[in-house]
Amino acid sequence: MTAIALRPPEVVMRLQRLGAAHPTRLSFLRQLIRRATREGWRVRKDRFDLDDHGFGHAVYAVETPARTYSLVAFSTPLDDEKRSDRVIAQAWDTSYVLYDGLPDVAEIARLEANAPLQEVGRFTSRELVLARANKSVRLFEEVASALAQGQQPDEEQLLGVGYLLRTTAVYGNGKFGIADRDEIASRPELSGSFQAEMLTVWLIRSFTLDLVDHIAHRRNPIGAARLAPDLRRALGVGNATGLGMAPFLVRHPLLTHSWFLARETALARVRAEPHAGEMERKAFLQALTDLRRRVTRWYSDDSRQAAATRLLADNLDTLTENLDQLLAKPHPWDALYRFAEDRFSLEGQEACVSLLLEPHGALVDDLGDTMKADETPGHAIDGSVTCGSLRQALLDSYSWAASVDFDDPAANARFWYVSAEKLEPRLGERFEEDGAELEQPLATARDALGLAAALAQEPASNRLADFLLHRPQWRHAARRAQIVARFPYSEIHDNLIGADLRPVDILRAKLAFFGARSFDPRSDRWLRIALFSGEPLIEDVATPAPAGAAA
Amino acid sequence: MIDLSLNEVETLSAKAARGAGFSWGLAEDIGRAARQIAVEDENWGSAMLSLVENAQSFEAPAPDRTTRWRNGEADVAAARPLCPIRTAALLLDDPPPASAMPLTILDVGLPVWLDAMLRRSNMRMARPVGLMTPLADVIIEGRAAAMQPITGRRGAIDERTLAALNSFAAKTYVPESERSRVRGAGGGRVDDE
Repeated sequence: MTAIALRPPEVVMRLQRLGAAHPTRLSFLRQLIRRATREGWRVRKDRFDLDDHGFGHAVYAVETPARTYSLVAFSTPLDDEKRSDRVIAQAWDTSYVLYDGLPDVAEIARLEANAPLQEVGRFTSRELVLARANKSVRLFEEVASALAQGQQPDEEQLLGVGYLLRTTAVYGNGKFGIADRDEIASRPELSGSFQAEMLTVWLIRSFTLDLVDHIAHRRNPIGAARLAPDLRRALGVGNATGLGMAPFLVRHPLLTHSWFLARETALARVRAEPHAGEMERKAFLQALTDLRRRVTRWYSDDSRQAAATRLLADNLDTLTENLDQLLAKPHPWDALYRFAEDRFSLEGQEACVSLLLEPHGALVDDLGDTMKADETPGHAIDGSVTCGSLRQALLDSYSWAASVDFDDPAANARFWYVSAEKLEPRLGERFEEDGAELEQPLATARDALGLAAALAQEPASNRLADFLLHRPQWRHAARRAQIVARFPYSEIHDNLIGADLRPVDILRAKLAFFGARSFDPRSDRWLRIALFSGEPLIEDVATPAPAGAAA
Repeated sequence: MIDLSLNEVETLSAKAARGAGFSWGLAEDIGRAARQIAVEDENWGSAMLSLVENAQSFEAPAPDRTTRWRNGEADVAAARPLCPIRTAALLLDDPPPASAMPLTILDVGLPVWLDAMLRRSNMRMARPVGLMTPLADVIIEGRAAAMQPITGRRGAIDERTLAALNSFAAKTYVPESERSRVRGAGGGRVDDE
């Protein structure tokens, strides 16, 4: 087998490419679906106590080999004027927790008093995830009405939106008192990145579909239709994601490295394959056909994304036309990637990465287990190194930033801060707004170059530990410098405080690792996506457990 | 009492430390050390509050003292208590040679923090100190391996201490203006369809 070099960080970690990321078979929701299938998980609706309007609560229990987890869902009335995707909202149509075990009546009552309050509620280590979702109001009502009249909803309209409800936050890792990540990290079924969160969303998807069926049935108990199985499987769960998620990739450099390294290793393995087998060709063609169909339904009002999507459609047409001759070449998958690299947009190239991985589960799926990180090794600073050697390491790792002039106001235009009102990350205009003195340490390139300049003022043979003793303001940058030198995919190779920064690029990269599709930027700072659309329903994969069975 | 997750303990402590004037990098270290204290002692909040309230009264180790430590020479106390955080950071970043151990350091302020910071190294304090001990001479000695993190614990805190820590954390937040309310999170697009 010919070894193929990994695409280097200077190619992979650019914001524009991050902003063109596509989900792959290594994405976290795909990993979850594979595990549930492999391990024969079982799911059942343990409770479904909703009134004629769909208000009340439901419990969906999932039995994994070792443990039972439950989605506890609450559906409550909400005035239209209070419905907002923004994190500033204070009430939602539905709220959820993923519960560790099966809750009894007292536990459900406790959760009912807290889950609808979200951030204002208080939670315990029995809750693993906290989430909420709003109805896509017009569509939800149209679907309920059609079903109540015994008809199926308009397919194009339904799949053009792609979901009935949209989550606006899915919290894990100890937020508002829920269980710490450390408490579940050793459980095989939840040890991978964001597996508890993905399980929650997978269950929410089934709840949203059951909810609309329930409301239609209550409106017309005799004549209502149930949402057709193919439509159920095509629908996902929407999600609105904003700046709150943006700093994550910066604050978790070792984890970020592990995600990108796995994906790039998978791509290199596929490109190194000498031949394309018949099964792989068929699977590739199927994935390509699926993606082309999805692209026709990928709507966005964002002119940039709309143009990128049109170009992607053209790229996929070109790929289809050239597929036979590309796959006839030696190292056909490498030829295909190179073809894309030469001719396609970034969106087209990254879509091809996803397509290339799709037929090669046996070759790449083991890499899913590597997409997690103990971040402890990143905490320590090796202070025995000299100032000169750290400076050189910085200049090497951040050579891409050497051309950025941070004295230019455009390069230094923004600052990240935490809002006093919402305690969420925000992006301010440094030269137009107050608060820059409270800037969060997310100006990675500026701080790296600043540290290099400060080190240049020291005798090169001085120890870093002594430098940091009298210049503690550089401690975070020194720590990061040593991480970046060891973990090359840990750093985004772009200025995160420039006037031209589009935070949605960072968000899209992270969401693609989750498995998101249908990226729809609503501004440069937040976007909507869909999760699980077109993927199996949990009840397809996890054999329904008999009602009343012991959990 | 309010039961915090350890992630909340770490996040709150790091913010409060930053609000009290510690650098971002040291605040990260303090957050992790607070987590360590919280799994062992339910009064972790008082220790944290004491640290941030006294942060400005400590001083960093002076170069002549650190040289003495590395050379195994006797320590000489300074006018003000040593900052347990900056002392620990130095020891962690560049551990003293084995020949300098055990190492006696005089007049360490709130030494429980030095102890907590060293948990992730192969050094430790020879004698345990009380959570609220304001000042002590400490002896640093080697140990075989760093302690493994403990999981499955929570960090209880009383409301008054929590409020006091939150007020330090709040010093890191930026108040919203009308402009930032509209722009800061993403522009004024309609999001309710």
